[in-house]
Amino acid sequence: MEHTAADIRFSDVSVTYPNGYTGLKTIDLNIPAGEMVGIVGLSGAGKSTLIRTINGLVPITSGSITVGAHQLNGRGGAQLRGKDLRELRSNVGMVFQSFNLAKRTTVLNNVLMGRLYHTSAWRILLGAWKNDDVELAMSALERVEIVPKAYEKASSLSGGQQQRVAIARTLAQRPQVILADEPVASLDPPTSHVVMRDLQRINADLGITVMVNLHFLDLARRYSDRLIGLRSGEVVFDGAGADADESVFENIYGRSLTAEDVLDGQAVL
Amino acid sequence: MATLIAQQQPTARPVKPTTQLRTTLWLLVSLIVVAAFWSVQIKWSSLADFPSQLIKYLGLMLFPPDWSKFGEAFKATILSVQMAWIGTILGIIVSFPLSFLASRGLAPRAVNAPLRFIFAVIRAVPEVVIAILILSVTGLTPFTGALALAVGSIGTLGKWGYEAFEGVDPGPKEAVRSTGGGTLALIRWGVWPSAAPEVLSFWLYRFEINVRASAILGLIGAGGIGKMLQDNVQFRNWDAVGMLLVVVVVVTMAIDQISGAVRNKLIHGTWRAPRRAS
Ligand SMILES: Nc1ncnc2c1ncn2[C@@H]1O[C@H](COP(=O)(O)OP(=O)(O)OP(=O)(O)O)[C@@H](O)[C@H]1O
Ligand SMILES: [Mg+2]
Repeated sequence: MEHTAADIRFSDVSVTYPNGYTGLKTIDLNIPAGEMVGIVGLSGAGKSTLIRTINGLVPITSGSITVGAHQLNGRGGAQLRGKDLRELRSNVGMVFQSFNLAKRTTVLNNVLMGRLYHTSAWRILLGAWKNDDVELAMSALERVEIVPKAYEKASSLSGGQQQRVAIARTLAQRPQVILADEPVASLDPPTSHVVMRDLQRINADLGITVMVNLHFLDLARRYSDRLIGLRSGEVVFDGAGADADESVFENIYGRSLTAEDVLDGQAVL
Repeated sequence: MATLIAQQQPTARPVKPTTQLRTTLWLLVSLIVVAAFWSVQIKWSSLADFPSQLIKYLGLMLFPPDWSKFGEAFKATILSVQMAWIGTILGIIVSFPLSFLASRGLAPRAVNAPLRFIFAVIRAVPEVVIAILILSVTGLTPFTGALALAVGSIGTLGKWGYEAFEGVDPGPKEAVRSTGGGTLALIRWGVWPSAAPEVLSFWLYRFEINVRASAILGLIGAGGIGKMLQDNVQFRNWDAVGMLLVVVVVVTMAIDQISGAVRNKLIHGTWRAPRRAS
């Protein structure tokens, strides 16, 4: 699989939701292609908001974001829409907390949904996928070790397997970036590690930028090169995971660590 | 006063919502019910006669029914079922695309609203009235009946359709959007896989309804079993009427059973309705 890389740059980005709530405040970030970034913060800190601005699922209010050749602007700026917005999205895969698979159709169809941007109307309608795309989907499934289940219904898989199918769906996009919004929050600890290792390997082997929101600090430190801490919509830490000691986390969380902040159930890192 | 939890600043207590509007509505509804009973002027005396009359006519019809015209009745039944079948198919063909256009999020509001209004208007008009309206254009044929059922079906199938499409799990829709899929992709892969079993079962259910309605349309002359029933009632051939009733009931029940089993298979994956866990 070939993948081209894209840098991500946030310039002075703010998000105000329609109800007036400020989700992100003047964010400046530069994420070079190929990084593995973990994003941590309390519930409501703005992790999902941050990640969803990158593929335009949450429109930004001011500032601008560039993703490779694409630029997303705040209100008043040129808006990316229609075909251009869809092209950006086709380059950015997304993994969700609740997997977001079409449960009643096959695993393979779910992975092939990653090809929708490149598929013609009649093929979409009939589910008559191109042979090349089917092969691409199979090789994506191979990477997450689910090939034998290709023709099974997605609902028959375990949670961990479903999330790996979702990861294969993003791989089928041949993306430059993969965004993951709490991808392991509904999984048990061993499965969480399996899924995190998948993401890590995808980042290392394919050079795809991976940005992952994580609830658990130990997971974030262990699996990311770079850690971004959010608090009330602002970046309060940005550095190597190894540099993030307990005092840094107290700053991000506004309190000391508890057993609930780590996957392994002990309030130490 | 003792507090239950140690806290410097108690959080503001929410105000209990008032229930005035609800109380007023209940009163209004009760009043209307009482007024309705008052105004229909039920003739209690004829109500007392009813059981004996019923027994008398049931005796005339069913002891014994006249099977000599069974062949004709069978053909008429087939005609009625065909009327229902064609009406359902036509209704599906028209309502299916329209219900996507009527779904919020799949088409602009300016398209949603008029369609929903049209569905609502159609649902407000009984099939018999629709048939009478169509009849003034086409004249009285079984196809008039099928058309009336088709139009009626659009009203219900359209509504059930957009409700099903709007009610699907938003997850897959979000996934399709995140891959760069357009509206067609959203409908085909974000919505349809989740909604399909429900929508297919609505189609079958509407067919069941149309089978019943087709008999009624026969009464106004659209042909089929209803027309035969009407003709025989007119000439007071009670024993033939009895036979027709048996045929109608058996055929309708058989279709309901089969269609119901298929619907259960679609929705629950088993032919029989699963027992509710108590
Ligand atoms: N559509 C919306 N409309 C209004 N406010 C919103 C909306 N989405 C999120 N918010 C608010 O913005 C803030 C940030 O939300 P966000 O979902 O980004 O937080 P998060 O860090 O992902 O939290 P969690 O860990 O709970 O997922 C929250 O206070 C939330 O209530
Ligand atoms: Mg979130």
